[in-house]
Amino acid sequence: MKNDIRTPFVRLAKRNDIDPKKAWIIRVSSIIIALILGFIPILITGSNPFEAYSVIVQGSLLRPTYFRQTVKIAIPLLACALAIAPCFKMRFWNIGAEGQITIGAMCASYFALYWVGKVPHVVLLLIMFLAALAGGAVWGLIPAFFKAKWNTNETLFTLMMNYIAIGIVAWLQGGPWEGRQGSQLIPQFKDAARLPDVFGVHIGWIFSLILVVLMYFYMNKTKQGYEVAVIGDSVNTARYAGMNVGYIIMRTMAISGAISGFVGFMIVSGANYTLYSGVADGVGFTSISVAWLSQLNPFAMIVISMLLAVLDKGSTTLQSRMSIPASISDIITGILLFAMLSCEFFINYRLIFRGRAEGKEDGK
Amino acid sequence: MKRALTLLVVLGLVCSFAFAAGGAESASSAADSNTIKVGLICIGDENDQGYTYNFIRGRDEATEILAKEGINIEWLTIYNIGEDSSCIDANIEAAEEGCEIIINNSYGFEPFMLEVVDDYPEIEFISCTNCASVFDGRDNTHNAFANIFEGRYIAGVVAGMKLQQMVDEGTIKPEEAVIGYVGAFPFAEVVSGYTSYFLGARSVCPSVTMKVMYVSSWSDATAESDAALALIDQGCVLISQHSDNTTPATAAQSRGVFHTGYNNDMTGIAPEASLIGTRIDWGIYFSEAIRAYANGEEIPQDWCAGMADGAVVMTPLNEAIAAPGTAEKVAEVEAALADGSLQVFDTSTFTVGGEELTHAFALDTDGDFTPDSEEAVYDGAFHESVFQSAPYFTVRIDGITELN
Repeated sequence: MKNDIRTPFVRLAKRNDIDPKKAWIIRVSSIIIALILGFIPILITGSNPFEAYSVIVQGSLLRPTYFRQTVKIAIPLLACALAIAPCFKMRFWNIGAEGQITIGAMCASYFALYWVGKVPHVVLLLIMFLAALAGGAVWGLIPAFFKAKWNTNETLFTLMMNYIAIGIVAWLQGGPWEGRQGSQLIPQFKDAARLPDVFGVHIGWIFSLILVVLMYFYMNKTKQGYEVAVIGDSVNTARYAGMNVGYIIMRTMAISGAISGFVGFMIVSGANYTLYSGVADGVGFTSISVAWLSQLNPFAMIVISMLLAVLDKGSTTLQSRMSIPASISDIITGILLFAMLSCEFFINYRLIFRGRAEGKEDGK
Repeated sequence: MKRALTLLVVLGLVCSFAFAAGGAESASSAADSNTIKVGLICIGDENDQGYTYNFIRGRDEATEILAKEGINIEWLTIYNIGEDSSCIDANIEAAEEGCEIIINNSYGFEPFMLEVVDDYPEIEFISCTNCASVFDGRDNTHNAFANIFEGRYIAGVVAGMKLQQMVDEGTIKPEEAVIGYVGAFPFAEVVSGYTSYFLGARSVCPSVTMKVMYVSSWSDATAESDAALALIDQGCVLISQHSDNTTPATAAQSRGVFHTGYNNDMTGIAPEASLIGTRIDWGIYFSEAIRAYANGEEIPQDWCAGMADGAVVMTPLNEAIAAPGTAEKVAEVEAALADGSLQVFDTSTFTVGGEELTHAFALDTDGDFTPDSEEAVYDGAFHESVFQSAPYFTVRIDGITELN
């Protein structure tokens, strides 16, 4: 009896190997529970939650134009999640994708603005593409170099690099690249600097899907991907195995930055047709959630990025049809992310309640 | 495990029920033929108590005016859209939701709006305060603005009278009559605005000078307040503004200096400081454009009207603190502007680098962002908003100092 008093009401135990089927059941139910919790903010605004969800679906998937817009939102989320996946696998906390996107967009924009008409369409796009890759790679390499050489804190470093990138573009916007004086607007790109559409959405969606496959192979089937995984598990093991950790960090960040730069290129050339300081629009941060929720699995990222895009696009229709503020859908997205991230906790640990635990604790 | 499965099935059923409801569109285009669905895309919301609030007021006023004529409007108002690609999405959204007319309320929306207009040739797109429709070769794009410089000139007269009163009473020396102007950007609309304001003030207070500080944002409450305070620290005794918030008014009141406002009556917020304000009455344009559409007529390509048409109005004069005789003077200037005997940009009233202005182009036709055609200076005045509705006065005149 005395024992019973000391036993806490709930205890946690690490699960070593959970049945993958069960893990997926937990994940799916967490989404459903989150959607049901999402009823609360909708009810607070005095609307019918069922109708609200159906409007979200209608406004994001059920009309061709809306579906295309949803895809357009998902593309940068997906590609950027792919960009940061190897960094996170390596436990290098790159939260600088926002800045890498911005710099990539800026480099591409330079050629879009000043080389247009001088070279053929495809060549111009190719130059913009390469410029964006180079810009993003350099922006990613800087913090990686400092990390490798002097072990600086990459989280703070990459975060700060975001503000520098955004600041540079803000300066260009009101300074040398400004269109009408005082307007703070960089002129729209000419047609020759725009990505072509395929099925009504810029061709970036095809590149992003190709990138999914490439990233899957890179992370799972190549020597470099293996090195990244080893460093993620234990830097000392990697050193002991003779890996040049600093070099691998820099290489991985350069790849990650280059892909982020590519995202910036797709955004300016495929979606916005111009550059402004908010060009990354939070994609660099939202994609961190996409990457984590997908367990760094590239194929899962397709689903997650589409899910977030549906909520994002659906929220505007929610606003226009039911006058529910778009921020309500931000709340639902927040609940969703929270539920999905916390469900990983229940996949890794199990709760043992006092009393009925004893028999089951070790038995399977 | 079994229980978890059961729960999952139940939840799944609930969810599919929710989404099944989405099978049929719950939309939404105006069924009634007498009802016109109009989209209004706004950079802010009514909480700014300034720029967007002024549009919302115009929206409600137009609804009222047209309801009397038997034209009903169903508004789809989309708030807090940035001058970025979200504006493209907002225009698509409004178009897809069945709007027949879509109004964009901010200057920076136009380039993004133009990305959408060709996909919806049957929908009329309006970009307020911008200027591309004349040159873009499309029938379904329109611009609109009003001669706000007339209202600013009068607000300047009110400010000048107050300053002259202070000079006459010995509160300040003549050379201390300095106006501080909080501007958004060094942009034609702003330059035109503060110049007309300054000329209004100088017409009644000859010793006045002006300092302009830009806040690099159309709407940044804190920066606007900071700029106003900085101007006051530099000796400005009266603040005016071309920015969206009311914080310059409250800043002026906190330091005991005077103020004139824009977009809204700010005398309620700063009763001891704010003398008067001026605003565009968008209800006039909205009702005109929507009426034209309802009657099957063309919406004007580039609409512009002034005070005489009621498109620019003064907010109530704060009689308690305004200089004596202000109301009479305002009425006199209003009449003179209306009958054309007074030109705001009369070239005999200002100099540029010590000399009279004899030449300035109005329009940019080749897209390099420098005006290259249509002489604006003739008959002894610079003619603002004649060749296009959006202001094009960008000359820097003597007596005004830009601080940044």
